Amino acid sequence: MGWDLLLGLVLAAMVYALFWWVFSNLDTAWGWSRAWDFRQSLWRGWVVTLELSAGALAGSCVVAGLLVAGQRTRYRSLGWFSRAFVELVRGMPLLTLVLIGYYVVFAQSQVAGLLDRFGVGSKLWTGAALLSVFTGAYLSEILRGGLESIPQGQIDSARAVGFDRFQVFRWVVMPQALRRVLPALAGQFVSLVKDSSLLSVIGVQEFTAQARAFNSATYGGIEAFLPLAAGYLLLTLPLAGVAHAMERHFRYQM
Amino acid sequence: MDIDAQRLTRRYGALAALDGLTLEVERVKVLALIGPSGGGKSTLLRVLGGLEGADEGEVSINGTVLTAEERQLLAWRRRNGFLFQQFNLFPHLTARRNITLPLEKVHGRTAAEAERVADESLERFGLTAHGHKLPAQLSGGQQQRVGLARAIASGPEILILDEPTSALDPEMTAEVLELIGELAAGGQDIILSTHEMGFARAVAGHVAFIAAGKVAEHGPSGELFAAPKEEMTRRFLSKVMRFA
Repeated sequence: MGWDLLLGLVLAAMVYALFWWVFSNLDTAWGWSRAWDFRQSLWRGWVVTLELSAGALAGSCVVAGLLVAGQRTRYRSLGWFSRAFVELVRGMPLLTLVLIGYYVVFAQSQVAGLLDRFGVGSKLWTGAALLSVFTGAYLSEILRGGLESIPQGQIDSARAVGFDRFQVFRWVVMPQALRRVLPALAGQFVSLVKDSSLLSVIGVQEFTAQARAFNSATYGGIEAFLPLAAGYLLLTLPLAGVAHAMERHFRYQM
Repeated sequence: MDIDAQRLTRRYGALAALDGLTLEVERVKVLALIGPSGGGKSTLLRVLGGLEGADEGEVSINGTVLTAEERQLLAWRRRNGFLFQQFNLFPHLTARRNITLPLEKVHGRTAAEAERVADESLERFGLTAHGHKLPAQLSGGQQQRVGLARAIASGPEILILDEPTSALDPEMTAEVLELIGELAAGGQDIILSTHEMGFARAVAGHVAFIAAGKVAEHGPSGELFAAPKEEMTRRFLSKVMRFA
């Protein structure tokens, strides 16, 4: 216990020294008044990032569900299609997917017109859709791994008590699989929040885009990027916290 | 119960787990399947219990012909109870919920009814203090007793037990066998596979010796244990009962 405390103090001192060294070498006068002037656009950007993340979180679950279902049906053509979709999306950098998705698909006049008619033509919707596809492909692989890790004995047992195919999945396989993959899912959702910053390349005015605009308008530098870091942590840390709480709540193996 | 199995074959790849197995018994209360591991006991129980269909042959139990059609097998599974060697309980649910969930979702009982039935069977098996626990918090013997409580909660026509004590130590084996004995004494129809020869002789009215995917011989347990007709049965029994 004593050593633990000492180690903790040493680590804290090292972190403090590092920060002190970095900031003391910056040699700039702090200009927080400029950041204050830009508070409204930074706030708007943060809200856009929140909206993008929330939308893509829901959307990626739908995409992942479809991809997993596609790979588990008896229709082999659907299986191959889902498989190829996952591999293509996972094999591409998000930036490439966003550029191709936006400029080649969504920005075409017919597609854009059609989307506009349903009220989903904005860049925010497009960005959320692209992020959903990207994250959905990763989520589907996490889920598939979880589902396939449930031992055959559990499935036999579930069939033996009289559950039909859907009930076996709903009451026995899925709850156990979800518990197993919760940590990985949480990591993927945290990545999603951070990945949303790449959508600035298609002109979504999200948090990082606003911080950059602030930076180039005022040469603000550090005063732009510190709020940026804090703003992302404000989204990602609660997400991780919720995930850990769920892990504890749904724990069934001692 | 009456069982009429004719030339059953079940293959897993190149291996024929059942190889033209035929078994006809009538008005049996407790049927024990004995024989060497890998001989086909488990596969026969899976076919009789409707967990899988046979590739060839026909089987009917109490007049119900089992086809390979999933819908019909599901209906058959819902009439019976099943207990395996291990992995029986759902680890994410409490002991009590393990019993109530199938009652609600499969047998259409209300939550209150299911809980009443679950509490009754937990009490009957001396598990009242453990109902709120997760399977990982129970001993192997307690887990199997909960599994047994779940299997009989719906009032099954036939209780099918696949080596229910093979994963347990002698003390736990005794407590589970005692419960099975009580169920048999209460008139429950049971088909079980077991390596507990003493138990098979005491509780089963009829015994079938199964090896290489076939029934080598079967008969009333008193006769089969006292005077096995087949050389294979004699050798098996003398081996497993040497230290009994």
